[in-house]
Amino acid sequence: MNHFVLVRIKTNKKNKLLLKLNKINVSIKNIKYEDKYLVFEIINTDIKRIKKYLVSYKIEFIDDTGIYKLRNEIRKNMLFIIGIIFSVIVFLILTNVIVKVNVIHESKEIRELLYDALKEHGVENMTFKKSYDKYEEIIEDIKEKNKDKIEWLEIDVDGMIINVRVEERIITENEKKYNTCHIVAKRSGIIKSIFTERGVAEVKLNQYVKKNDILINGMIKLNEEVKNNVCAEGLVHAEVWYTANASIPLSYTEEISTNKMRYNFMVKTKNDEYVILKSRINEKKVKNIKLFSIFGMNFYIQKEYEVKKIAKNYTEVEALKKITNIIHEKLILKGIQEEDIINEKVLKKNINNGNLDIEMFIALKEQIGVVKYYDIETDSGTSDIKSNKYNNRLN
Amino acid sequence: MRIVKNLKNFLLDQDYYIDIFDNNLHVYYYESLIHLSDKLIKLKLKEFSLEIEGKDLIVSSMDNHEILIKGIINNVRFIR
Repeated sequence: MNHFVLVRIKTNKKNKLLLKLNKINVSIKNIKYEDKYLVFEIINTDIKRIKKYLVSYKIEFIDDTGIYKLRNEIRKNMLFIIGIIFSVIVFLILTNVIVKVNVIHESKEIRELLYDALKEHGVENMTFKKSYDKYEEIIEDIKEKNKDKIEWLEIDVDGMIINVRVEERIITENEKKYNTCHIVAKRSGIIKSIFTERGVAEVKLNQYVKKNDILINGMIKLNEEVKNNVCAEGLVHAEVWYTANASIPLSYTEEISTNKMRYNFMVKTKNDEYVILKSRINEKKVKNIKLFSIFGMNFYIQKEYEVKKIAKNYTEVEALKKITNIIHEKLILKGIQEEDIINEKVLKKNINNGNLDIEMFIALKEQIGVVKYYDIETDSGTSDIKSNKYNNRLN
Repeated sequence: MRIVKNLKNFLLDQDYYIDIFDNNLHVYYYESLIHLSDKLIKLKLKEFSLEIEGKDLIVSSMDNHEILIKGIINNVRFIR
């Protein structure tokens, strides 16, 4: 690659100079005609030829060009560039180093157990942070190795500090004491399905059961004689009934987008949010896109979409549909799927202060079996009722 | 486009070619610069001379084989 340099030659007869340069076969580019000078770029080695053949002209070096100029600039500012690189490296190290591991639990035993377990996985003071997936793996591994001591574990990265929240597993006396249990009904209902894994089913399909009735017996009997005692396991689904109350305002505001959008910037700290530019949109919907976070402050680019708010009213049918959906959403939050709803009926309907209040009857298919431990000797169920190992949704 | 032209020239073994675009004139494979002023530029090519008439004519870049002329070009004449 040719090394071009920027030079200038003082002359009043620029065209004559160019003709002479052409005669001696010198390549020049980016020619600029200045007041008393002809400024151009020339190959470094050609300068000698000009000095040799055009003796009367004085050639002045101005600067290097291209990559050579960049190289010179880097050399000139080497100290500054090294400083910046060093600062970035220090910054990256500081933001990725764990300064303190903080296990939050009142029991010293649990705290020490976790400090040791985390140390085994390389999570300790003055080490590098790990990825989210790695922390998930560590959590699972610690939970697996300490099944009898740890119920729940969370690793929260807060800047340079790792907060580890832990919930100790508390094993009840009855659990320790008895290995025998029944599955009993936690709620009254009509049996719809029975799945017995261990024990003897005591109920039949479409049978009405009351709360605390034994559904799956842990005592295995033959001719009224107890042959064996087990901890019953199984699933018993029944139709159970609830009443739900809900209320909805009959008037609402609909937001219509005008397709007008403005950008803004937002800084979010732990407690506050600061919008940097003054917003020119009065009624808006905001979408935040995170740019980066530094020293516990999160920087966002904010998209403000202008909306028009229009006041509207529900008809009674619409309001009823809406309120039914709200009740369904509440049920879903409690873990009940829509297909589990057997029947529903509005019992009461009132319009009060612009609100529609309803009382609704709902029949659901629900798992009602819960574990109840009992002592073989006394043959009496203890009061320690525990959720079945299968998912127990409504309590 | 220049790559295509260079390739074409290489393949067809052309003696010269001239590009005129937006007050620019680009001549490839000229032999020498005979005359240079802001109104007239004369170039010697292998078999003829090229006269460029115009206003505020300047040479922007110049190599052994090619030259770029800028300015208001009024007339380009081939003289054999």
